[in-house]
Amino acid sequence: MNILFIEDDQIEGMKLQRTVSNLGMRHTIKIAQNGEEALELLQDPHALPDLILLDLNMPRMNGIEFLSRIKNNEAQKYLPTVILTTSMNREDLLECYRIGIAGYVIKPLKYEDYETKLQRVLEYWEVNELVKP
Amino acid sequence: MGETNKVLLLKKALERQKKARFQAERILEEKSKQLYDVTRHLQSVNDRLEHILNEKASELDGVFINIIDPYVIMDLEFNVINMNASAKEFLGFDHTIEPLNLSQLVHNDYMEYTAKSIATLLEVGTLKNYRAKIIVGDGTEKFVEVNSSLIYDKERNPIAAQGIIRDITQETETKELLAQQNKELDIIVENSPLGIVLTDQGIIIKTNPRFVQMLGFEEGELIGRHVQEISAPGDIGNSVELIKKMNSGELDNFSIVKNYLRKNGSELMAKTSVNAFKNRQGQVEYQVAMVEDITEQRNLELQKEKLLKELEASNKGLKEYAHIVSHDLKSPLRSISALATWLGEDHEEVLNEDGLNNLQMMQEKIEAMDTLIDGILKYSSIDLASLENNIIDLNEIVNEIREVIFVPDHVRIVILNPLPEICADRTRIYQLFQNIISNAVNHIEADEGLVKISSSESPTHWHFRIEDNGIGIPKEYHDKIFKVFQSLDNQKHSSGIGLSIVQKIVDLYEGEIMLESEVGKGTVFNFTLKKS
Repeated sequence: MNILFIEDDQIEGMKLQRTVSNLGMRHTIKIAQNGEEALELLQDPHALPDLILLDLNMPRMNGIEFLSRIKNNEAQKYLPTVILTTSMNREDLLECYRIGIAGYVIKPLKYEDYETKLQRVLEYWEVNELVKP
Repeated sequence: MGETNKVLLLKKALERQKKARFQAERILEEKSKQLYDVTRHLQSVNDRLEHILNEKASELDGVFINIIDPYVIMDLEFNVINMNASAKEFLGFDHTIEPLNLSQLVHNDYMEYTAKSIATLLEVGTLKNYRAKIIVGDGTEKFVEVNSSLIYDKERNPIAAQGIIRDITQETETKELLAQQNKELDIIVENSPLGIVLTDQGIIIKTNPRFVQMLGFEEGELIGRHVQEISAPGDIGNSVELIKKMNSGELDNFSIVKNYLRKNGSELMAKTSVNAFKNRQGQVEYQVAMVEDITEQRNLELQKEKLLKELEASNKGLKEYAHIVSHDLKSPLRSISALATWLGEDHEEVLNEDGLNNLQMMQEKIEAMDTLIDGILKYSSIDLASLENNIIDLNEIVNEIREVIFVPDHVRIVILNPLPEICADRTRIYQLFQNIISNAVNHIEADEGLVKISSSESPTHWHFRIEDNGIGIPKEYHDKIFKVFQSLDNQKHSSGIGLSIVQKIVDLYEGEIMLESEVGKGTVFNFTLKKS
């Protein structure tokens, strides 16, 4: 799968990369530091990712704003977007589901737990049929 | 001289005497006749006078009979000389049966006044509108009004007085009652904490002192002014409209909150209730307004509203702040934890046992810090506004907790009596029981651990008891453990926030929590929750 990972923390990027390689998965990961950067990467309708992993707390354009933007875009609105965030905030959770998400995953403290969770998310989306242009 | 001369002389003397006696007899006869005539004359005059007197007396009797009001003639010592039937009936006395002195009838309170009045009568000759209370024959008190004048003899000396009595008892009583009621009403109006205004077509005709004082005027200054003169400009339209409706009979009363203008130009906010006072034809004659100064009340309300808004904003801010802080603290913890893990994995061969141990301790500290952050977040999110009260079954809650928390095999959690269903916020009640039960389970060192849960109720509160046979809590810490960050042990799962959360939730439900504990024997948490 082509995965777009939107996250401002560099170590989070390393965690995802390491997880994918540790598990022997063959996914391509592109990282955007914030919502604005991610939108630029989505400009080409023929080079859309299969899955977006989205952090909520980011500088410039936060996760919820980014989510609203792509859900209002004809070409981008079918992109499955899974929220990957640190803190459980009920208001954020409700808002995200209202706008439209494909999952809401809390980053666990321990890296081992992180690997387990991410493995499940990626495997799940691997077997899903996706809307292609 | 001889004897003959002597006889002659004597004869002559005798002759003279006879003559003189005859003359005297003649005079006497004449005088007697005159006297007789005079007597006769006098007698006839007397007869005539008597006749006239009789005539007058009978005339007077006729007048007496014809006067409907009680009529009395008295001498100057107040003794009744005559009175008519009406007077006899009214006073309840008959002077022809037994003498009557009018001074005996006057009520004690009117003695002085009566004395003065009599003095006036004697001086001027007449007395108008003498009013006094008297006690009549049957002992009842009557109010009378008397108009009186003196009667004189030929030499213009007063010899008697006559007077007409009018019974004004009922009139006086009514007046007194009215005066009394007026006085009572005045007391109420004068001392009322409400401003009271009487208006006629908007013109102020009477106010009580409170209203004058409210607006900072001097007494009397407001009389004759139009209500609009003391109304704040913006508020006139509304009340004019309502007054119109009142005058047309659409409204009998109305109540508005309006601003008045004080003498010094400042404004006063007041609740004003206006009632129409109608005459017999049903037209509005006056408006009575009750004015209550609510400036302060309104200010307090505004202040309260403002404070509430501020509080709401600051609560919301605080919640957001807690989330942001927790996110910003948790993110680096996850990074550090990942890095520490990788360090161990990737450089296992270069790190000796000590190095790996240190990495493990580092992970534990990171975990403790993560628990602490979670606790702070939970603690700060407990507030009244976020409560969603529903009927919840506490047996179910305890069962769920039993499954979710880690309970070692040697510890049993038992419910002694079926727990009630209560109306409360599920999450908070879950947190409450979970924290106490975890606390109990985590501190059991006995071979057979036992946590007993039971409940009872009073009219106002639910009572709960959670008892364990754990290590117990030393007395000196009984108060401390409910404070935030106060942990008694350095177990990695203890953030020191759990029992603070318990305390906060119990407070939210207006209950109390108490602790009984003996070191080595166990701990009992007794707490109450108010029934809603």
